[in-house]
Amino acid sequence: MLIDFNFRIILEYLPLFLTGLRSTFFISIVSIALALTTGIIACACRISGVRIIKYPAIAYIEVIRSTPLLVQIYFLYFGLPTLGLMIPEIQTGILALMLNSGAYIAEIIRAGINSVDEGQLEAGISSGLNYIQRMRFIILPQALGVTIPPLLGQAIVLVKDSALLSLISVMELTRCGQTMTSERFMPAEAFFTVAFFYMCIYFVLKAVADWSQRKLIFREAY
Amino acid sequence: MIEFKNVNKWFGKLHVLNHINLKIPKGEVLVICGPSGSGKSTLIRCINRLEKIQKGEIIVNNTLVHDKSINLTKLRGQIGFVFQQFHLYPHMTVLQNVMLAPVNVKKIAREKAEKIAMKKLDQVGLTGKSGSFPAQLSGGQQQRVAIARGLAMSPEIMLFDEPTSALDPEMIGEVLDVMVNLVSEGMTMCVVTHEMGFAKKVADRVLFMDEGKIIETGTPDDFFDNPKTDRAADFIGKILTH
Amino acid sequence: MMAFYFARLVEIFPFFLKGLWMTSKIAFISLVTCTLIGFALGMIRSGNNIILKRIVGIYVAFVRGTPFVVQIFIVFFILPEWGIQLEAFPAALLAMAIMGSAFICEIVAGGIDSISRGQWEAAASSGLTLVQQLRLIIVPQAMKVILPPLVGQYVLLIKDTSVVSVIGVMELTRVGWVTVVRIPEGLMVFSLVGALYFIISYPLILISNYLEQKMAV
Repeated sequence: MLIDFNFRIILEYLPLFLTGLRSTFFISIVSIALALTTGIIACACRISGVRIIKYPAIAYIEVIRSTPLLVQIYFLYFGLPTLGLMIPEIQTGILALMLNSGAYIAEIIRAGINSVDEGQLEAGISSGLNYIQRMRFIILPQALGVTIPPLLGQAIVLVKDSALLSLISVMELTRCGQTMTSERFMPAEAFFTVAFFYMCIYFVLKAVADWSQRKLIFREAY
Repeated sequence: MIEFKNVNKWFGKLHVLNHINLKIPKGEVLVICGPSGSGKSTLIRCINRLEKIQKGEIIVNNTLVHDKSINLTKLRGQIGFVFQQFHLYPHMTVLQNVMLAPVNVKKIAREKAEKIAMKKLDQVGLTGKSGSFPAQLSGGQQQRVAIARGLAMSPEIMLFDEPTSALDPEMIGEVLDVMVNLVSEGMTMCVVTHEMGFAKKVADRVLFMDEGKIIETGTPDDFFDNPKTDRAADFIGKILTH
Repeated sequence: MMAFYFARLVEIFPFFLKGLWMTSKIAFISLVTCTLIGFALGMIRSGNNIILKRIVGIYVAFVRGTPFVVQIFIVFFILPEWGIQLEAFPAALLAMAIMGSAFICEIVAGGIDSISRGQWEAAASSGLTLVQQLRLIIVPQAMKVILPPLVGQYVLLIKDTSVVSVIGVMELTRVGWVTVVRIPEGLMVFSLVGALYFIISYPLILISNYLEQKMAV
């Protein structure tokens, strides 16, 4: 059991794990940036009153939220080539993560906007501010405070979700564990090391999320 | 200055405003009272079009309030509104709260807007709090900031929707004092309130509403001492024993 | 060609229904076990025993901090090394239970913590035992806070069952994966798989939205 835990082999594979870690970082950062953009656009479409962009946005968000990410990844991985689109696995993976997290982020932003008290809107209306001004000066600054903690939560989810890209042979952290297991058959050393690295990322992001939770939320005081 | 012509409004089946006819001349201070759900808040919320109406018309300074083609921003600039729950913007300082509309709606230069805002804060006795956030203020102070915010657009009319109902008793006085000062400056005011003392001291007219209808109007002394209807008498009895 | 593959797909549709049945079975068993374990752990986590709290806390952090697929590999590859042999199906259920219980534990603990001290004190003053306080006073009130995210978590758990396909359990996603090798129409095959997941998870999403609105009042 743990007594046989072989640290030497971990050291031997450390360079591989570090490349995997770097790849996980790269995938996560690119995906979260793209997902944020997608989410903002999808949310703007959804809350707009314009039907031809509102309903597609709703369909996108609901379909993503009610199907597993792994199925979405396979859908693109096996589906894009049938459309004649040959792109590298890593790009397929990032595309899947972007589309998946984008839908959740759209809902997070929408919830943030809805969380702003109706009276705030009325106060803005009474002062004669127009829709854009109300959004810009009153709603969005307050919504930002409530959306940052769940957005960081979504970032944590995305980092963990990126592990599924190992199943379409993207060489990231989890894939390194699989490689080491198949080469040396030491799954305990391999996957506990992988888990250790994910835990490190998790604790850093969680600390930031908790801090932002305390710092950023403005509340209307009565 | 403000005129209601046969105004009707329904919330679903509920007839919240029932054939309202009312004229408020310039400089008048009108106090509106009545039991909860009588439509008094809805009545003043219609004046700056926070609420739609289904029938009739409301005219403010020769402008048809519920007409689609009017310049709503200009209309609302002439009307200050104070809410029961203050609704200060929690992410802005007191000064920023007061300056927001002058800078962005009236497009007044920042420096000039700041001067105006400080003057209004002086008027409500809160120049010292200009850098504070709403959460750092007491309820009474928050409501005074809200009044300053309403005044910042230099309105001709001020509407107050139960401005003291959310306050602790010891803070009611400071807010009423600010309002009394406004009266002495000749501001046209509609105040939804149950503060009898305020009504008796400064109101030109008291209007009593129940179930969406104007039941009776009169001078404060007449209304409170010799109510004409049973419903009004009953209501006055309740707020007195309260 | 497309039409040909479509006909093939219709032909092997019963295979997909079998996968759907397997997915439903794993999901149902997991939801029940995770709810039971999650509530028990949640009460410990918001309780007063510091040592137990810490232990549950470490377990929750481990589960929340690592990807589910890594947890499945740990259960499936490492337990045999320690002398515990598990078939793919029970291993999948075990991994689901470990993962889901931790998330539900956090939801339950959050709900219990949202109840004010005064309620505990009032219940204690009436002479109720700790278990009675929880059962009669605290949990019924906390349910209002717990229920919406709990149903949301159920949706996530149902979707996470797709990941157990990696250890060869023949559930819906695995069926799709096996099929796409023979019928190379990825879009078609995984649209079908997705649609079947949609059928079971979308109603729960609607319930979750409804509860959120209702409980917010």
